[in-house]
Amino acid sequence: MQALAIAWRHRELLWNLAGRDLKGRYKDSVLGLLWTILAPLFMAGIYIFFLRLLGGRGLQIGMPDIIIGVFAWQFTVQCVTSGLNAFTGNANLVKKVYLPRLLLPTSVVLSALVNYLLMLVVQLPLIAFLLWRQHEMLSIWTLALPVVIVYQTFFNLLLALTVSAANVYFRDTQHLVGLGLSAWFFVSPVMYPLSFVHNLAERWPWLESLYQLNPLTVIITAYRTLQTGAPLVLTPAAMIGWLWPLVAAVGVFYAFDRAQRNFADVL
Amino acid sequence: MIAIEAQNLGKRYRKAGVGAPTLREALKRTFRRKPMEDFWAVRGLNFAIEPGRTIGVIGPNGSGKSSLLGLLAGTITPTEGSVRVEGRISSLLELGAGFHPDLSGRENVFLNAAILGIPQEDVRRRFDAIVDFAGLREFIDMPVKHYSSGMYVRLAFAVAVEMNPDVLLVDEVLAVGDTAFQMKCLDRIHDFKRRGKTILLVSHALETVEQFCDEVILIHKGAMIQRGPPSEVIFNYLKSYMVRIGMLNVEEHGTREVEIRAVRLLDAAGHETVVFTTGQPMVIEVQYHAKHRIEKPVFGFNLKTGNGIYVFGSNTQIAKVPLEAIAGDGVMRLTINPLTLMAGRFFLSLSIHSWDHSVQYHRQEDLHPFMVKDDSQHKGLLHLDTAWEHRPAL
Repeated sequence: MQALAIAWRHRELLWNLAGRDLKGRYKDSVLGLLWTILAPLFMAGIYIFFLRLLGGRGLQIGMPDIIIGVFAWQFTVQCVTSGLNAFTGNANLVKKVYLPRLLLPTSVVLSALVNYLLMLVVQLPLIAFLLWRQHEMLSIWTLALPVVIVYQTFFNLLLALTVSAANVYFRDTQHLVGLGLSAWFFVSPVMYPLSFVHNLAERWPWLESLYQLNPLTVIITAYRTLQTGAPLVLTPAAMIGWLWPLVAAVGVFYAFDRAQRNFADVL
Repeated sequence: MIAIEAQNLGKRYRKAGVGAPTLREALKRTFRRKPMEDFWAVRGLNFAIEPGRTIGVIGPNGSGKSSLLGLLAGTITPTEGSVRVEGRISSLLELGAGFHPDLSGRENVFLNAAILGIPQEDVRRRFDAIVDFAGLREFIDMPVKHYSSGMYVRLAFAVAVEMNPDVLLVDEVLAVGDTAFQMKCLDRIHDFKRRGKTILLVSHALETVEQFCDEVILIHKGAMIQRGPPSEVIFNYLKSYMVRIGMLNVEEHGTREVEIRAVRLLDAAGHETVVFTTGQPMVIEVQYHAKHRIEKPVFGFNLKTGNGIYVFGSNTQIAKVPLEAIAGDGVMRLTINPLTLMAGRFFLSLSIHSWDHSVQYHRQEDLHPFMVKDDSQHKGLLHLDTAWEHRPAL
């Protein structure tokens, strides 16, 4: 709560920092902001192509599912990877100027959110078009997307705070995070729908519960439910998957506050 | 009312760097029994500063000045004790922190202003003034990575002085830019002072400190050595402290058949000081002791600037005031009137040697630092008596 108050009080600065991030990223590139959309689209294209190629026609993988999954995944990945350098890349700001340290990772998440919203502007018509080809319609529940987006943004903020602070103390973090992300990619339903793991789940039900504890699982599934009407997961495990980040947030904010005190000494 | 208050303020650093750079190091440290070696950048500082005062902080390199400012600015968390600053605090610690090299000067002005907590509305209103102050009108839309370092700092300073803090921290920022820009900077700081802001100024430019500050704090090895009126503290710093802690590259040698026992630098009123004024007299009093009778000794002196430029040297031989002989105690007085040196830091060397220069009895090289302040607007190293004469065309 206090963190949110700080963020709100410095909203002007937050926007400026986020703007700096966005502008800096696409300066001097010909396609500029277009890369925001091209890169994940291209990735989604690759996954669809190879899954079709390897899995054959019989595999029930909808293009909308993959596009939704990849775009949402990109949002989280961007927060984590740019979050890593929120402090290490801005040592000057940490050491020489006093501003609430919280703002740096927050601005990173904010700029990733802007990116994601731009991606959604492309995503929604695309999904609508793909569904229309299958004689389906974009669900009216799409209107509820902002709720999930807010939740994912908050979750990403927790991740960004954690990795940004950890990376100040241990530069190993950036390597570990790289590994972690590639593992996470496969244990989250990014390039496959939830039904994909059903076979596994029937054999080891506890594994499915574990799987649903992953907040990204429930987030991505929720995006799909809202847009394509895929079934919502309402198991107890999934509920915990939704809830635990909110509880963990208390610890993350506390730990972050403790950690940031010595940033200037370490950087 | 107190603007800044420090209570038993201390900051400890580990000699091997705080924290561990890698996980491996961290594990190694966890299992190592040996305690870490620490040092205190600042320790046991107690002071209170009333609002509206301008305080200079001086001390040798590594004495903890910058740590102190960091603690006040809130970028460094104290290890022990506490520091309290009343009102909005702003620092001119690192100019241009937060500039993004790829963004244009214009974008960086807004970004930097936001970082410094200046409302965007104010920046929009004052934008032209900022750009003019920096003198960068034609380059304002160029990415700052193409700026020269001087342009970079000028722009940063122009933004920074738009702040309206209650407490302003200044760390050696005046060492940047050309002379003209430095004058503008000093003007702005004067402005802050006039508006009754509390200013903490860290600088090695002692003339500036002397000129600006109401009070000076001398710190060394993280502890406050002295606090008082500028000339007094600077006197102590220059006269005894810098020499005592071996900061100056001073040299003393000679046979000591005649020994310089004490040296006093006196101003027009006969008070001992190290701060002299251009155009006023300066008196150097050398108390010597000759162990036995010395025939035809020569007393000499020279002055060098803080940068080691030899300004002037003379002795009783050259000046044609030879001494027949000396024995026992005595005092040699040298009056320089008027002192034509301009503002700056200088070193005085003294020597007593034989008529033919073959024996150096006692020579003190650069042992006596002093500074000169100048109340006029003139520039340069030496004051020249000048007269202007204008003859209009017939």
